[in-house]
Amino acid sequence: MKVIECNNLTKTYLRKNVLNQLSFTIEENKITGLIGRNGVGKTTLLKILAGFIKETSGEVKVFSEYPFNNLNVSANLIFVDDQMSFPPALQLYELLEVAKSFYPNWDMELAKRLFDYFGFDPKHYHHRLSKGKTSTFNMIVGLAARCPLTIFDEPTTGMDAAVRKDFYRALLKDYLAFPRTMILSSHHLDEIDDLLEDVLLIKDGKKHLHLPMEELKEWAIALKGRAEIVNEWTGNREILYENLIGKDTMYTVVKNDFNETLRQKASLAGLEISSVPVSDLCVYLTSESKGGIDDVFNNR
Amino acid sequence: MSLTTVNLLNNIKKLYLFKLKANIDSFSSLIGIQLLALLFSLGGVTTIGSFSSNLHIDIKYYSADLVIVFTMIWSFVTAITITTKPYRNHDFSFVTNRLTSSVANILFLFTASMLGGITAMLSGNLLKIAITLLLDEPLYLIHGGVGEIAIGAVAAILYIFGISAIGYFIGALVQVSKLFILLLPILLIGSLYFDGMLQRDPIITDFFKFFLFEASFLIFIVKALLTSVLFFLASIVILNRMEVRR
Amino acid sequence: MNNLVIYYILHYNSNALCGKEAATILNTDGTKPIYVQIAEWIETEIMNGHFESDQKVYSQYQLAEMYTINPATAAKGLNLLVDENILYKKRGLGMFVSTNAKEMIINKRKNQTLKRLVHEIVLEANRLQMSDRELIDMIKAVQIEEGER
Repeated sequence: MKVIECNNLTKTYLRKNVLNQLSFTIEENKITGLIGRNGVGKTTLLKILAGFIKETSGEVKVFSEYPFNNLNVSANLIFVDDQMSFPPALQLYELLEVAKSFYPNWDMELAKRLFDYFGFDPKHYHHRLSKGKTSTFNMIVGLAARCPLTIFDEPTTGMDAAVRKDFYRALLKDYLAFPRTMILSSHHLDEIDDLLEDVLLIKDGKKHLHLPMEELKEWAIALKGRAEIVNEWTGNREILYENLIGKDTMYTVVKNDFNETLRQKASLAGLEISSVPVSDLCVYLTSESKGGIDDVFNNR
Repeated sequence: MSLTTVNLLNNIKKLYLFKLKANIDSFSSLIGIQLLALLFSLGGVTTIGSFSSNLHIDIKYYSADLVIVFTMIWSFVTAITITTKPYRNHDFSFVTNRLTSSVANILFLFTASMLGGITAMLSGNLLKIAITLLLDEPLYLIHGGVGEIAIGAVAAILYIFGISAIGYFIGALVQVSKLFILLLPILLIGSLYFDGMLQRDPIITDFFKFFLFEASFLIFIVKALLTSVLFFLASIVILNRMEVRR
Repeated sequence: MNNLVIYYILHYNSNALCGKEAATILNTDGTKPIYVQIAEWIETEIMNGHFESDQKVYSQYQLAEMYTINPATAAKGLNLLVDENILYKKRGLGMFVSTNAKEMIINKRKNQTLKRLVHEIVLEANRLQMSDRELIDMIKAVQIEEGER
């Protein structure tokens, strides 16, 4: 079943296309990573899916319904980010009670256990929490709500490494016990890549890639060796990233269309071949230049 | 995971109960404001003095009307407050759409108006007690029957509710564009100014006369409720198109 | 087969440099796909006798839980072993160890893993211009060392 369908989705803010003819579908019970650079329209997309904001043009469907102002979509979806706002008059524990009243699948036992594990004081107030604690509390709400579509937009903002690790594990365990569709947008791709089944990569408001994580991991290949040999081998291939190390050593990332024979030949020619970490690859894919920040300093 | 369908009324009920808890502070501010109004009322509303050769009569008239006025201001501010971004966003952290959010707000405002109206009416008794205790002068109490108090309470509630409807409408307009913060006072003062130039009664007074000079209590109820409903409906329509959590 | 050998040598080199904490469980530096590591781990479990023939192995969900990975990735690792006939599927029941899984794994590791390790050793020895004698002595020394344990 398709949980999300977007067709030529466009959102314009102040005559700038934040989302530009974006089309994709997301299947039920998959964890999808939404990846892209800052300001590329990830949050805008997620807020359209959540029915918070309206598209400028195009088509969007969540659970086969138009999400904007849709009560059914709202009940089956939870959008978690660090901007989630709760009434300042209510204590943390009361907030859990309120959430329980709204979400039919709410698991109070899980909420309470996580609440205690992360050392929250039931009588504390949400607006007095630190950044990391706010994210942690919101995450608890997001998991315990057990919505068929769970959206985490930068859920780990301010969390320290240990809490992030706990969060990923909690998310996975609860997902295994209660499979549901999840979308995670995060800057810590290196930390969440193992959790993801699919990756949706957005660049300039458009879909750049949408494929299983395992394919993305083998999508590109890095060649390292003497510059002239590397250049000879890259040939007409599109260069995703290149970096001249020292005098004569070149590290180049190209799309992986190397079969075993080619690979063998390349290594016999003295090239070092390695796979590219997904987080690096995504940086290369979404970057405007081939040399990254070094381009700013070179060729002046 | 199976999908759940939501009943509109059920959602409104949940939002309403949530709002009662979430906006508990507004009720404490109501108490504060009414006590303040009572304090002002202790000075007496009007004083009539009469002198003759060796007789000096001072009549002071005490009334808790000021409490109702203050309560109206409170309901106006409360109504505007709950249209603001943070308050609307609270609902969207949970399950809602714009319609149920607004209806729950209106129900909350009605509850607040009931509470405000009844406490305002009863505060008259508190004033009597306070004056009895504080003043040595002879007191003449005007006793209204239970029926009169009831009518007074209903009227107070409707006024307060009506004012909150206007507040909610203004709040909704301001959410569409912050320009209304400037525009509305300009329109109000401008109309007063023009009416003054044309040497006629301000339109605003016509608006209030429509309610104040209504002889039939029943028709007054209908008028007041209809006006409130119109303002709320307009607000619902305005807010229904608004984006949230941008 | 030879192509594969060289490819893996390169991987092994970089794996050795992996200093991450997670490396004790899984290499997350992206050099070796997780599902391959999962498959290898199950192979080791079979080799160690933790799973007998016709015994059910971990499900994709159990593996996902153990390693904090997406169950789809875990499934890919299991399917790798199904493709190699080390495991077999029983519809609706799960994955089971094939009758001669152990021999298959031993054969595979001899012919592939060990071969490529040796290949790597030889290449490195050549780079260091070691003689054959020196290399063999070295191997023998290690063998003696291990034998004493």
